[in-house]
Amino acid sequence: MTEDKFSPYEAMAAEEWPSDLGLWKNLLLGFIANSRLNLAAGIPETPMGELLVKMFARIAKARLEGKPIIMHPFNYGPELFYAMDLEPLMQEVFSVGLAPFHLNEPYIDLANQMGYGDNPTLCNAQRPLIATHLSGDAPKVDLLFYLSAPCNSLATTYQVYQHITGVPTFTMDIPYWSHDPSSPFYDEKTLEYMKAQYRDCIAWLEHQTHRAFDPEKFQMTMRRVNEARENIMEFNDLLKTVPCPVNSMESFSNYLTMVLSGGTQEAVEVTRWFRDYAADHARKGIAGVPGEKLRIAWPYTHTFFDRDLFPWLEQQFQAVVIMDILGFYNIPPHDVSTLEKCFDSLALGTLDFSMIHTCRGPAEFYIEYLLRFIEDYRIDCVIIPMQFACKHAYAVTKIAAEAVRREADIPVLIFGCDPYDSREVPSEEIRGKIEEFITEIVL
Amino acid sequence: MSISETFRQALSLPNPWIREAKEEGKKALGYFCSYIPEEIMTAAGLLPVRMRAPGCTDTPMGDAYMSPTTCGFTRCVLETASEGGYEFLDGVVASNTCDQVRRLYDNIRFKTPFPYHYFLSLPHTQSPTTLEWFAHELVKFKEDLEEHFQVEIGREKLQEAIKAHNHSRALFERLYDLRKREAPVLSGSEVLRFFLGSVTLPVQTFNAWFQKEIEELEAGEGLSKYRARIMLLGSHLDDPRFIELIEGQGGLVVTDSLCFGNRFFRDPVDETAEPISALAERYLYKIPCPRMSGAQAERIRFVMDQIRDFHVDGVIIQRMKFCPMWWGDAFVLRDELKKAGIPCLELEREYLVSGAGAIKTRVQAFLETLEGR
Repeated sequence: MTEDKFSPYEAMAAEEWPSDLGLWKNLLLGFIANSRLNLAAGIPETPMGELLVKMFARIAKARLEGKPIIMHPFNYGPELFYAMDLEPLMQEVFSVGLAPFHLNEPYIDLANQMGYGDNPTLCNAQRPLIATHLSGDAPKVDLLFYLSAPCNSLATTYQVYQHITGVPTFTMDIPYWSHDPSSPFYDEKTLEYMKAQYRDCIAWLEHQTHRAFDPEKFQMTMRRVNEARENIMEFNDLLKTVPCPVNSMESFSNYLTMVLSGGTQEAVEVTRWFRDYAADHARKGIAGVPGEKLRIAWPYTHTFFDRDLFPWLEQQFQAVVIMDILGFYNIPPHDVSTLEKCFDSLALGTLDFSMIHTCRGPAEFYIEYLLRFIEDYRIDCVIIPMQFACKHAYAVTKIAAEAVRREADIPVLIFGCDPYDSREVPSEEIRGKIEEFITEIVL
Repeated sequence: MSISETFRQALSLPNPWIREAKEEGKKALGYFCSYIPEEIMTAAGLLPVRMRAPGCTDTPMGDAYMSPTTCGFTRCVLETASEGGYEFLDGVVASNTCDQVRRLYDNIRFKTPFPYHYFLSLPHTQSPTTLEWFAHELVKFKEDLEEHFQVEIGREKLQEAIKAHNHSRALFERLYDLRKREAPVLSGSEVLRFFLGSVTLPVQTFNAWFQKEIEELEAGEGLSKYRARIMLLGSHLDDPRFIELIEGQGGLVVTDSLCFGNRFFRDPVDETAEPISALAERYLYKIPCPRMSGAQAERIRFVMDQIRDFHVDGVIIQRMKFCPMWWGDAFVLRDELKKAGIPCLELEREYLVSGAGAIKTRVQAFLETLEGR
């Protein structure tokens, strides 16, 4: 094979890695192979393949060189960790990364065998962590950081992991209230509370890693976060164009970039690439989905095990999924001219992160996001693939759907499934429900 | 009617005491969690009533709005609310106890509103920073009650309420001491009835009756015919019939880690400190339920101490179906108990007691194992 940009990573993987990085190495090689296959098939290249490959390589390098690795959940921007020269590892990359190939399912089965939860009770985004750890297939980490939101399921699995590994852990409490003075749910201490917790967190990190917090490096990191946020906000605005200038997968890329690389120059460049790509298409009137007929809001996560679902929707119905709930990264740039303002921005970014903003507080946070989204993006229908184990989201969808029908007068489909396990509700059944909904009700 | 029999009436909602209090013009406030300080409601002259759904038999609305995979407790409460079962309440107070209660509160507000709603953002971790936040939340709660119910909750009223509720706690402490005996004075199901009384009756009424009852129990004979001493742990449990299923087989419940149990009454509020700070401190640092992150070691230590102090032969963990937090804790506890050589049985249950036959069979087998040791 000729040399390409992935060759150095492949060479790195050819070396001997610690046994707990075996699965990690397979993921790295899998993503390299996938990127090459896409190139060979003529699928337009985005920076995402390389971003993911670099992330896998970075973690491996950190592990091999003894750089502290800090595990964190899927709804958190790791900028503080980059600012403190730690290597962040987003845990759910396992469940999300393995799901399209059904390679997470053996770990779900193993969790069942170990007696750790079941599908309708504990979310399979985190549950396999216990199985991968106990079977020696999860990378060893030095520190753990997690939030109390958006769900108990996440906090429960991380808490169990904390106990069985003894890894030093910091948990950040996410308050219920809004930081926005115009909200009826505003509490004037919300932001201060978050900042106080960040001060505790930094003291904890300094103690654990024996590394001093560097205010200048932190400010530089937050300026990069701002630049990326600016790109994403412009991208989000461009998606309001009819037809939508990108396909159903692209908005997820910005979220993934920020959760994996937020605060790095790489994130600035990747988000800029997507903004420029969307702007170019919008300017030229190129549709992400040729002949766009339907614009769909998908206010929950992708069904990760079925990566062909959105392309199927596009081909079958000329329907574009504008954004899923994670892709809805809607954090404007903040004033970061002083250190104190940088902390404001860090705290606000945590409270408003994808799925945290919409799901941490009262039902109104979710409903208002959905209604606003429907209006701003000229949505024709809403599809909510509800995960059985997602208590906070499942128990709000019915009142949210009523609000959508009442306020926006468009149809809503809610169905139960497990986005991580193809065996619960298989692709065919999901497609059947969607097809029936679109043909019988929407069109 | 004996006091024990009187307490049985506390099970229903509303019960004669609530009706009596309402007839006297008292307002009643429903609340959801043992992390919500009753003292502030008592100090406001309100009757705090812990939310339960004792008469619920089916949950079509609960299933539709909460989803069929949320816990039976939240579905039953929504159902009861939709049927007008809480019309005796003048309001409801919830907290982010868990996602399911948080969303139950939303569904109540949207579908079956009460005259008054309030929500407390309760921290999930214990630290000076979160304590300060929680104290701030309690101040807001106090001020909101004052404004809505047009009452003044001064320092003295709070101190009085703290004393009254601390007295309840001290009485429960005495009751639990009596359960340490070789012949414990009371079955676990009867003890649960006292807790149900304590979260339903005006605190002074409850204390007066409870004190008499304890004095009688202290003088009386204990229960000596049992096969094993059981510690019961787990999710929200407000139905004595479930414990009767265990005790009917000869497993006497002598202690627990339940929110209608140890987690409710242990750790009095400091009566000498500024009242709101003292309440915040007590409620945030009380025996932690699994909703509190990073407190697993403390929970395990508490369970082990109870096993030692109450001479427990075996542990039964009851998990309400679809409760993620208790599944996490059960997973860890099972392992810790195994390491300590303590037999453990895990039962999954619905909020509404069902599958009695299967539960009895499993308990029977568990007791045989304990006897065979």
